[in-house]
Amino acid sequence: MARTKLYTIIYVVLFVLATAQVAVEQVDLLGYWAAIAVIAVLSMVKALFVAGYYQHLVWEPRSLSYLMLIGFVGFIALTVAASYSIL
Amino acid sequence: MSDDDLQTDGGTASALPGESHGDDAHLPPKSSVKRWLVTTNHKDVGILYTVTAMFFVLFGGVLALLIRAQMLSPRAPGTGPLSAMAYNQAVSLHGLIMVFWFLSPLAFGFANYIVPLQIGAEDLAFPRLNALSYWLYLTSGLLVFTSFFQGASFAGGWTMYAPLNIPAFMPSIGATTTVLALLMFTVSVTVGGVNFITTIHRMRAPGLTMRSLPLFTWSILLTVWMMLFAFAALLAALMILLSDRLLGTTYFAATTAGGSVLWTHLFWFFGHPEVYIVFFPALGAMAEIFQTFSGRRIVGRKWFIVSMVLVALQSFIVWMHHMFLTAINLQVKTLFMATTIGISLPFDLMVFALIYTLIKGRIRWDTPMLFAFGSLVLFIVGGITGVFLGAVVLDYEFRGTYWVVAHFHYVMVSGVTALIGGLYYWFPKMTGKMYDEFLGKITFAVYFTGFNLLYFPMFLAWGTPRRVFAYRPEYLVWHQVASVGGLILGISFLMVIYNLTKSLLSGEEAAGNPWPYSTTAEWAVSSPPPMENFPGTPSYTSGVLEFLGDDESSESSSGTAAADGGTATDGGMVVHEGDHEEEVHIDHASYWPLVIAVFSFIAAVGLSGLQLGSYPEGLGGTFYMATSLIGSLGVIGAVSGMGYESFTAHEGGAGEAWPFEGVENTKLGIWVFLASDVVLFGAFIGAAIFIRVDYGWMQWQPVPHTAIPGLVNTYLLLTSSFSVILALVAAQKGSRNGVLAGLVTTFFLGIGFLVNKAIEWIELFHEGVWLSTNVRASTYFLTTGLHMGHVVAGLLITAYLIWRAWGGAYTDGNDEPLEYFGLYWHFVDIVWLFLFPLFYII
Amino acid sequence: MILDAIAASILQSGIVPEGTRVQVFQEIYWVFLGLGTLVGAVVIGYMLYNGYKYRYQGGEDKDEDRPKLGEIPTGGGKGKKLFTSLTLSAIIVISLIAWTYGTLLYVEAAPEQPDAGVDVHVEGYQFGWDFTYLNNAGNSTGVETTGTLRVPVDTRVNIEVTSRDVSHNFGIPGLKVKTDALPGYTTKTWFEASQTGNYTANCYELCGQGHSYMEATVVAMEQDEYEDWYASQQNQTSTQNSSTVAAGGA
Repeated sequence: MARTKLYTIIYVVLFVLATAQVAVEQVDLLGYWAAIAVIAVLSMVKALFVAGYYQHLVWEPRSLSYLMLIGFVGFIALTVAASYSIL
Repeated sequence: MSDDDLQTDGGTASALPGESHGDDAHLPPKSSVKRWLVTTNHKDVGILYTVTAMFFVLFGGVLALLIRAQMLSPRAPGTGPLSAMAYNQAVSLHGLIMVFWFLSPLAFGFANYIVPLQIGAEDLAFPRLNALSYWLYLTSGLLVFTSFFQGASFAGGWTMYAPLNIPAFMPSIGATTTVLALLMFTVSVTVGGVNFITTIHRMRAPGLTMRSLPLFTWSILLTVWMMLFAFAALLAALMILLSDRLLGTTYFAATTAGGSVLWTHLFWFFGHPEVYIVFFPALGAMAEIFQTFSGRRIVGRKWFIVSMVLVALQSFIVWMHHMFLTAINLQVKTLFMATTIGISLPFDLMVFALIYTLIKGRIRWDTPMLFAFGSLVLFIVGGITGVFLGAVVLDYEFRGTYWVVAHFHYVMVSGVTALIGGLYYWFPKMTGKMYDEFLGKITFAVYFTGFNLLYFPMFLAWGTPRRVFAYRPEYLVWHQVASVGGLILGISFLMVIYNLTKSLLSGEEAAGNPWPYSTTAEWAVSSPPPMENFPGTPSYTSGVLEFLGDDESSESSSGTAAADGGTATDGGMVVHEGDHEEEVHIDHASYWPLVIAVFSFIAAVGLSGLQLGSYPEGLGGTFYMATSLIGSLGVIGAVSGMGYESFTAHEGGAGEAWPFEGVENTKLGIWVFLASDVVLFGAFIGAAIFIRVDYGWMQWQPVPHTAIPGLVNTYLLLTSSFSVILALVAAQKGSRNGVLAGLVTTFFLGIGFLVNKAIEWIELFHEGVWLSTNVRASTYFLTTGLHMGHVVAGLLITAYLIWRAWGGAYTDGNDEPLEYFGLYWHFVDIVWLFLFPLFYII
Repeated sequence: MILDAIAASILQSGIVPEGTRVQVFQEIYWVFLGLGTLVGAVVIGYMLYNGYKYRYQGGEDKDEDRPKLGEIPTGGGKGKKLFTSLTLSAIIVISLIAWTYGTLLYVEAAPEQPDAGVDVHVEGYQFGWDFTYLNNAGNSTGVETTGTLRVPVDTRVNIEVTSRDVSHNFGIPGLKVKTDALPGYTTKTWFEASQTGNYTANCYELCGQGHSYMEATVVAMEQDEYEDWYASQQNQTSTQNSSTVAAGGA
């Protein structure tokens, strides 16, 4: 299947992004919070690639993506609200 | 009939409509014990749940009577029928048993029996998992019973607040057993949630759109959606608590930042949706009964459904109203005061809808209607008193007092009242016998009297602190009235059980439809229904319920059916139609669910002996250690056995399937399970972040010295995801060697991950950094440890897949197990993508 | 900042109950109780009325459109009545809560005179309460008591509450003040006794076997009596300190 090539490209991209995350911390160019933001975004991007292509979500009905999104939103709500509550 | 006439979506045929099942789907007769141990049929499982729940209400009720006996007068220290320790256990287990082991299981007894009938399905999507849910429920209840004999059971309230819940303050083994029991119950619920979500979405009859779903099924659907996400948070809380108790981590130690407030956040994030999880089925039963017995359709039905959906969503954003007196800031208190009032509004609408349904009715005041109507009256009282608690300044006084106790008993036990109504309503359907109507009416009178004598005085004596047995003398008469009321309420439960048992044995035969104005499909078949539920294929496409024969059904099913791929299984091997000359008799008996539950029980008993990282000395310790080992190995073996067993479930997608058209049942089940796993890990990650915020974000140093081991593990997992997807591609191309190469690579990369982690952990251990060193170490080891547990589980499955692939499976067109395993494995990879920066970098 | 401005404007309007926390609570409680009972009685009465009026009495059914077995469900209409009722109850409920919000701000507001009043650190343990009096800087003045809290009447008493073992909750029902006592955290609140006398403080969070008996006595005294008592406590402490110093220095 032609998808093998796609999967391989994604694998390489993931590899690079993972390395980049460590590089961001080592290189120390950005401020602490900016660096965290970049690292978080990189994690999200990697997760979306794995979910979208390896788990086939881009080819599945959208409802499955929404299902996972609900779980993710729940996690964010709990973490943000709880952390804010003790600030 | 030829195979061409079978209505399928390309996969294997399930139970054939219209075919006689003279041998009852290969199940032993109902009078045999074996039948009940191996059945997977939803009607049998429903009866098991209902009967078992009634046993637990007696258990919880006895504890309640003990509480009320102690509270007959204010007790000086050392006096009274119970010691302080016994009293604390009584209040705690009364709450736990009633909320978990009685209320929801009773509701799910009905859900199991009635929902497939209402939607036109022959069974749930995953029958063996359904049986597994039940057996795990039963064995978890047995664990609760066991806990009383291991020192003392849990004695910190059903809310299990930290740090009272850790061994430093509650050292008994029985307390650990209670937590393990609740964890097992949570697994049961999660499995059940996956099952019901898949079933209700994908196994509806053609023409039965979501909007047309009966209100009871709607209530169950929303209940299971809430369950899926809420119980994942509870699972996290319980796992962290167990880690503190069994392994010695220090999440909840009194000196830890985060500690007590972390528990309240995790518990109440679950706890608030939980009260609606418990109430919604009762609401659904109320709606059905009001409609059927008044002969009027529910007023504003569409808005009733919208209200239920709103409550289900809003239930997740009100939890901090249980925390108004903790150290949370004023802004967040204000926010949650607003959201709490917000959630009362949809309930207002539903209450009015039910009341207006009575107007212009021809109301028959039979026992189900008496209980449903009574339930609404009680719920209104409970709801109004809840508004008091939503006003923060009032809550400042009501916190920890009997106002709260009275409020929640009015709302929760009004739910029980409606479910008792449901029990009478559906009893004829489930047993084929009619209950004694006169005795039912008397029972209601006794019940309603007992209820109000028990709970209303609690409002009058609201100054009494919760969970005490010494109180001010001016409250004496109210507590005495309440104790008498409790006795009367208890008697009414015995009357219910007596009535139904007597009627079961010698009652009148009941018709298929004993109620004049019922509308839902369960009343269109005999009482009890036949094994296959319906005399044909149910369909609503013509505007009314019809049972179609085989020729008609192949025309009437929706076009989406053809698009559905996949075979009808629930994880076992596929039975191919072409293998047999004669018609296939589907065997729906399986003993694996029971075996898994029994070994889980054994493992839990063994684990309860583990304390702070080690087993006790001597014979006792050896017993616990051996039991843990036997139980764990048994569970792994039994799960493998169930996986290998040949079992054909009913498929979905032939009718309505919104919004999961085109997603085959097993695949949907896995995605739903993964959604709850997201919340599980989310709660663990959220806990780590919360603790770090409390600790001081910048003062917190990552536990690993460098990020390199974590980066290596990231590379290993990414590569293993790649090899899994290549294995799937190889399977689709029919290459057995490709499949094996991919799976074996995955396996060894996973081993590499574990070895790398072991090296890292051993080094930390030798530096003196281990589970109980400090909270940074605790969060690091436990969160990455949970992930590691997922990796280990994945590798066990990989080994199984390698063995099967060697035998040629997966390359003959049936590559779904590889795809489904891939979904799980990629999820494990994704979680690591977040854990790695969180624990190694930032 | 915004909240302070809102608080100021609401408090000035006179709608918000003012006075001691006891007076404030009573006023709000009785309004809620009155309205709640009224609403409950009306709704339940209406239910019973309709339940009786539309009871089945046999005879001919003039309404042909009854629910039928196997029908596709539809609503029964009358959605408008539903929304009217909903709006009415929403107005009642939201107004009540908004009204109490003003009181919440009042209770949570910082004291007008931060240095006036008595400051006490309350520490709960299994199974009693320790009280440490603080000076304006928040440090202990050396005056410590167990089981009894003495305060002057008509004076704001600011308490910061914590626990040294499990979670407890410190509440004085007679003075309408309550707050959680959590290990590792400090919660803050205040009360003011307007009458002399003894009040009981209880624990309102299950904390172990002694939970039922975890009490303290709050003694509200006349201002001068309180000051006499306080001075004598301070003398005792300084005498102990100087004798220790003497003993240690010799």
